[in-house]
Amino acid sequence: MSVVALLEPQALDPQLELAELTEAARGDGALVTFVGLARPESRDGNAVDAVVLDHHPTMTRQSLEDIAVACAERFDVSHVRVVHRYGTVPAGEPIVFAGASSIHRRAAFEAADYLMDRLKTEAVFWKREVGDDGAQWVEPTEADLADRDRWG
Amino acid sequence: MRIRLYGRLGDAIAPEIELAAASCTVGEVRRRLATSHAAAARSLETSRALIAGRVVGDDRAVGEAEELEFLPPVSGG
Repeated sequence: MSVVALLEPQALDPQLELAELTEAARGDGALVTFVGLARPESRDGNAVDAVVLDHHPTMTRQSLEDIAVACAERFDVSHVRVVHRYGTVPAGEPIVFAGASSIHRRAAFEAADYLMDRLKTEAVFWKREVGDDGAQWVEPTEADLADRDRWG
Repeated sequence: MRIRLYGRLGDAIAPEIELAAASCTVGEVRRRLATSHAAAARSLETSRALIAGRVVGDDRAVGEAEELEFLPPVSGG
């Protein structure tokens, strides 16, 4: 069993993260990963050049770890890996990697789903989208909160 | 005392400020900042206050040498 939760100040390389998780998961039968990208368009349809994530020096990484540990405890998974960018992420670039491995596929699918629903609403970031129209702060949507609440 | 502000608050006020106050409560700091930065008043109301990494209530006294943090509701990742 391993649980990894990392804050990444530089470009996030999903291939590298997948390779790390695949190496850890050699004894498993399934591995599910999710890669989130910085969207090039806001909810209002405005062009977004970059997403800027403010973070807290201790609480942000702790929130990632809390979510990853809760995932490992809740599902029958062997390895959990969460890597999240902070700072300025240009549109189109990876912003988050979340993955889990397990003996059988169902647990890994559910674990990855759970990770993202909680990360999207509870990870300690303050996020703004920056474009030609200036910067707009982004809050979780009702749909994001409803997705998280599915897990009780 | 040193005050750190995150998210909208850091944007509206400053990420870090020094407040000249011999002794006051978290609530008094919150009100003082809301008065001097009206645009941030609503965010201040809904922000958690932390000292040394622990959430504290508005009645907590803040020492001159302590660092107070205000964290608005998070955006998530």
